[in-house]
Amino acid sequence: MNRIFNYSASVLGLLGLALGGCQPNIDAPAASAGTATFTTYLAVGNSLTSGYSDGGLYREGQLNSYPNILSQQFAAVGGGAFTQPLFTEAQANGTGYLRLTGFANGAPVTAAVTSNLAVRGLSAANGQVLYTKFTDPVNNLGVPGIRLADIQTVGYGSVAGNAYFERITPDASASQTYFQRMQATVAALKPTFFTEWLGNNDVLGYATGGGGSPSPTATITRTDTFTLKLNRVLNVLTSGGAKGVVATIPDVTGIPFFTTVGPSARAALAAASIPTAAPFVYTTGLLAPGQANTRVTGTLADIRVSGTGTLLLTLTAAPYVSLYGRPTGKYWRDYYQQLRPSLPATVPTFGVFLAAMQIDTTKAFGMSTGNPFPSVLVLDGTEQTAVANATTAFNNAIVAATTARSLALFDANTYFRGVAINGQASNAVSNSASYVSGNLFGLDGVHPTPRGYALIANEILRSINATYGSSFNGVNANDYRGVSFPQ
Amino acid sequence: MMLKTLLLAGGALMGCAATAAASGFQVNLGGQQNIGMGGVGVGLSLDQAAMFYNPGALAMVRANGVQVGANFALARGAYTSASGGPQRDLQHLLVTPFNLYAAFGKEGKYKFGVGVYTPYGSQLRYADNWEGRYSLTEINLQSVYVQPTFSYAFSPQFSVGVGVTMLAYGSVNLQKDIPLPTGPAHITLDGTTKFQVGVNAGLYFKPSDKLSLGISYRSKIDAQVKGGNVNYAGLPTGASAATINRSFTATNFDATLPLPATASVGVGIMPTEKLTIGFDASLVFWSAYRTLDFNFSGNNGNAGTPTDASNGLVGGSSTSTSKRFYQDALAFRVGGQYKATDQLILRLGSAYDFAAVKDGYVTPETPDADRYIATAGLTYQPNPHLGIDASFQFERFAKRSQSQAELLNNGTTDRVAGTYRTDIFIPGIGVRYSF
Repeated sequence: MNRIFNYSASVLGLLGLALGGCQPNIDAPAASAGTATFTTYLAVGNSLTSGYSDGGLYREGQLNSYPNILSQQFAAVGGGAFTQPLFTEAQANGTGYLRLTGFANGAPVTAAVTSNLAVRGLSAANGQVLYTKFTDPVNNLGVPGIRLADIQTVGYGSVAGNAYFERITPDASASQTYFQRMQATVAALKPTFFTEWLGNNDVLGYATGGGGSPSPTATITRTDTFTLKLNRVLNVLTSGGAKGVVATIPDVTGIPFFTTVGPSARAALAAASIPTAAPFVYTTGLLAPGQANTRVTGTLADIRVSGTGTLLLTLTAAPYVSLYGRPTGKYWRDYYQQLRPSLPATVPTFGVFLAAMQIDTTKAFGMSTGNPFPSVLVLDGTEQTAVANATTAFNNAIVAATTARSLALFDANTYFRGVAINGQASNAVSNSASYVSGNLFGLDGVHPTPRGYALIANEILRSINATYGSSFNGVNANDYRGVSFPQ
Repeated sequence: MMLKTLLLAGGALMGCAATAAASGFQVNLGGQQNIGMGGVGVGLSLDQAAMFYNPGALAMVRANGVQVGANFALARGAYTSASGGPQRDLQHLLVTPFNLYAAFGKEGKYKFGVGVYTPYGSQLRYADNWEGRYSLTEINLQSVYVQPTFSYAFSPQFSVGVGVTMLAYGSVNLQKDIPLPTGPAHITLDGTTKFQVGVNAGLYFKPSDKLSLGISYRSKIDAQVKGGNVNYAGLPTGASAATINRSFTATNFDATLPLPATASVGVGIMPTEKLTIGFDASLVFWSAYRTLDFNFSGNNGNAGTPTDASNGLVGGSSTSTSKRFYQDALAFRVGGQYKATDQLILRLGSAYDFAAVKDGYVTPETPDADRYIATAGLTYQPNPHLGIDASFQFERFAKRSQSQAELLNNGTTDRVAGTYRTDIFIPGIGVRYSF
């Protein structure tokens, strides 16, 4: 009986193993192009298109740019080479960027990466840092900082212009505008597909400067200018019959740059038993000598936290909020250093600067009208309205221009609003718009992480699939990192 | 004494679990003869395994006897992510549900018996680094019921039976990766269940030599884990340790998993002496499985000196809840046996099991789907006392897909979008001795 049992068991076991070797297979649907052609892809845009992250442009960010991720998907349906102006391995850290070095009392501590940079010198024209040139033809024309208002500015690619555009501008055509570069690229590459995501900086600079920065790029572009330039760009991109995706501009007030410091400052002040009824004094309007420097006196309760209050504090306010109530001139000294190259001869010293700004550093910072919190670190209700109105006007122009050309639309505004409220899960991982911990935004609080760019690429692919009947799967966003913590 | 001996015997086969072989993580592998006939048995009185299928039929089983059987389940699973990437195959595991029955009494009048069987279980190990790693990397769910049973025949036509089902042993081991900004870490939840009792009862009616009818009901048992162990691997040890590890202080967990009630009806038809045909329909009350909730407790000191606020945290929370929202699941089974010679009986069967998991709720721990089942079996009887039963069951799960949009709508983004396909091959062997 035992023998029979053993025999049968081994026969059955073998049978099971033989059959068990049959691995079921799932025939995954192959990617298809639908009605668009993805042979040659051109990306036009700003920092978001370049892969900028953590306050800098560097090789890892470039490799994880959403256009690069898209091009890898397009390769499955015949997409060709996609050339980006990559920094070399030896200069992989590019312009330098912020990295997370650790935590002090639970707060993230960042430091600038200063090794393996691609810095080639300082501009004789204005002292700005210049980067190692990359003058080969590129498919990714993402230029950090560029506004639609800038695209036809002559000299934008010179050593006095935008250092990122200067980097990719060939010496032979040094005076070429961004628009001309785009025309030349379209003529040479004959792209069959494009993505266009310009216009963010036409409102972002104003917002990140708290609506008070005197910098010439910290203004809101006129809507008619915006619309005109947008249509010129799209006319060029579609001139050869190319199809493409156009992205709207996200409302920037939901990004960690504006949502992090206010709530943490409120929590710290509450922990220090400072009542929310304590005065909060800040300036409004342009913050520069000769400006009105109007002061507004409110209370700490005006700083927005979870739906109450209106004032948004910028991420750049982080080093200064803890000085609230102290007699200090730290902020003003830092601001003086920052403005110094552009200050008139009538403001030769810090003392004269303070006098011109009507600041008394012996008064309690942020608490006294004599030493107010600076407007460049505060986006108040009026300024938020200006940002919202501009964003809406620009997006209306974008939607109209896109619809008129029957192009696909990636509604980044709707998408980011959803992310700011609900976060976005990727394969059982929760991602949110929280600073550092949310996985989606890098250390500058404005630009996405590789994870964020991967999710953007997936959303763009959804738009493409919906409009052109193509079928792209996208990528597993979890294969792309969020903010990287030291072990 | 009897119970203890059986438990010990069962223990020899333990460390084994079962791959789910009915809807959800239920296992319908009660006896080798039944398995060969598509899993029917509620309306039949074939052997001592009647204790599992229909305790009411036990009194009608011809002889006293003991029997033991085991199955060797080989699950072959594949998954492809909705976000592309290669097909991920389940790692190959062999799991062995088993059963053991002994019954004695007066033939055709009454019988006492005890059964040991594994009615629920699942063991799955996913491919390394698969897309769902932050939902699940590995699960091992085991249960062993011990069921003392009494069955009484009021007449040659009608008998009843009641068994007390006892969750004598149950264990759960769940593992997944944790997405940390320092890189993936790993968490293991491991615990055994508390002793619980339920009931398995049935009626059996045999109006003629050619027809028999049965109805049975097995009640729900809640498999409760109290104070299971929580273990971590790969948490950071350097600059980020204080910031991240403070959210992982739990050392213990409590959880409850319902092992749902099952109601079945069955019909047996014996057109000739040599031929028996059975039909079963059963309904598993899976809707009892609403959410999978964990309560965490204990403090490993990762957040410094333990405080109420820092006790029992996993990912910063002392509880976790995950939607299951299972639905009651029907199964239909048909099978027959033919007595070719005095020594040889041949069997064939088929079944269709409806999925307990609704669309958009499929989790990696139970990649459930409607299943087509085909079975075959044979018995070799060298003498009237001894029977050696062999069976083979094949299950094909319907291809099951869910999209990220469905997960978002259902609030079930703690699992992954994609397509699952599973086949299970289950050979089995058993031996019966009757006297």
